[in-house]
Amino acid sequence: MTFHLDPDKLVELDRAVAFVTDGALVALGGGLSARLPMAMVRELVRQGRRNLHVVGSAHGIDVDLLVAAGSVAVCEESYVGFEQDFGLAPAYRRAAQTQTIEVRESCCGTILTQLRAAEFGVPFLPVRGVKGSDIRRLHPEYGEVTCPFTGETLVVVPPLRPDVALIHAPLGDRRGNLHLDQPYVLDERFAAASRNVVATVERIASFEEVAAAGVTIPGHLVTAVAEVPYGAHPSSCYPGYAYDRPHLAEYVRAATAGDADLASYLDRYVTGTPTEEAYRKVIGEERLATIASWSASTDAWKGLFR
Amino acid sequence: MSFSIDEWFVVALARTIRDREVVFHGFGSPCAQVAMHVARHTSARDMLLVEGATYAINPDPPFIPPTGNDLSLQRDASYRMRFEEFFDAALRGDVDRMFLSGGQIDAYGNTNVTAIGPPDRPKVKLGGGGGGCNLAATIGHLTLWTTRHRSGRALVEQCDFVTDMGHRTPAGTRAELGFAGGGPEWLVTELGVFDYDDDGRARLRQLFPDIGVDQVKASTGFELRVAADLRPVPMPSAAEIAALRAVDPLGVRRSEFAPEELRRTFTHGESAGCLC
Repeated sequence: MTFHLDPDKLVELDRAVAFVTDGALVALGGGLSARLPMAMVRELVRQGRRNLHVVGSAHGIDVDLLVAAGSVAVCEESYVGFEQDFGLAPAYRRAAQTQTIEVRESCCGTILTQLRAAEFGVPFLPVRGVKGSDIRRLHPEYGEVTCPFTGETLVVVPPLRPDVALIHAPLGDRRGNLHLDQPYVLDERFAAASRNVVATVERIASFEEVAAAGVTIPGHLVTAVAEVPYGAHPSSCYPGYAYDRPHLAEYVRAATAGDADLASYLDRYVTGTPTEEAYRKVIGEERLATIASWSASTDAWKGLFR
Repeated sequence: MSFSIDEWFVVALARTIRDREVVFHGFGSPCAQVAMHVARHTSARDMLLVEGATYAINPDPPFIPPTGNDLSLQRDASYRMRFEEFFDAALRGDVDRMFLSGGQIDAYGNTNVTAIGPPDRPKVKLGGGGGGCNLAATIGHLTLWTTRHRSGRALVEQCDFVTDMGHRTPAGTRAELGFAGGGPEWLVTELGVFDYDDDGRARLRQLFPDIGVDQVKASTGFELRVAADLRPVPMPSAAEIAALRAVDPLGVRRSEFAPEELRRTFTHGESAGCLC
């Protein structure tokens, strides 16, 4: 909401993530298996952040890992899971079933409307649906109005102003101008509605190069930016790399088993790797080169999904 | 020509699409996703296909990947909508059909993708509804599907939680709630195809040839209504099967079925006539 005019916002990852405080309302960018802000998620876990209230559309390992590490108090995503590929999100499911997190499941269209209310600076906006759905029972904050023009009754929702939006982009500059490839999912709306936007980029480039690629999120909406290659891994960040399906399978196995297996995953890939450079070493150059080779041929690309 | 139940099932889904419809599927829905591409290459060539998580218009993917948000699903797209562009179109009523499934589906076509058991202490927390609870209100028609009818747990008397509204909930009918969309039009399962009668309740219209009404009845948690003119599900054409195999070489559609279902194979009889 507030414009950020600092000419140089380039920081290291640990400083970037410091903008997220315990208990913050955090919007996660990207969606499902693409462009999830995974380096920031791992760094939040390393720094032991607690009681986060996460919000977003359809997400996967980002939310599940934060829940697995005990960083989440409230989850307001519209979906958390691994689609038909690996099914239900193991840590999210377990935490919901044992009431260790509060699930305020929402709906993509409702979240979009709430972000727009924040962007427009209005106290509420109406939605057409929601009425027949039990989702409404999870949200006592929703209200109802009678339309002054048509007389119909509509559900209304309050503005959603995240404290911080975490966004990963392929390219950015020191002022925080970000270039994204489609689908942007809710990232543009998050950027406009949130108090702070903290970004990681695959590569910091000159303003001219970012402008030539196209500025998707302008620097004046961005608070801090850090350069983290493979910062979305194991989700995809095209044109750089496809998602790392074997790694997702390894995570889902560990998170499903829980206890020692999950602790061992977290130790190996998150808390036991003090930096993202160390993380990339554990993943291995060969694996990273494989997921980056998607563009070599259709067969190479298809082969990543077998 | 031989084909398996997953292929016939996808073609049955594809045939619920009318030409020149604007059609959308949710993520985590390989069967619906493949069905839309099959329809666009055979029975509904002028449909507008909106990919489920990339919002790409009429793409020609080299393959369907096991995730809904992958660059392969944007290849050769004529346009890529923004998230809000798609939701605005759907919520103002410019999208004609959406495919929707659920862990539970009741007789009125209400679906549950949120939780099995009491919502405040669920037995199984499901993934969640994505955009469904708004989209189901305003999109013109819904094609519902499940590949788990035979489990007896999918078609239930009452959903433990209504994520997406069908024709009627305790809150009222669609008309009473001011919903512009027409609600569920078809329900395709691995046993047969249902439509909805004037009361908004599911009614069995077609059966796969290796399935009997008694089997459907035993697997259905709500009172089974059967159409007077119950027929076999129409066979897929060779063109539909070819289109399906071309778009889904990885066979992601098969991930929706129990392994024992995938053993069901069929062959076009000699009386099938032209299969084009």
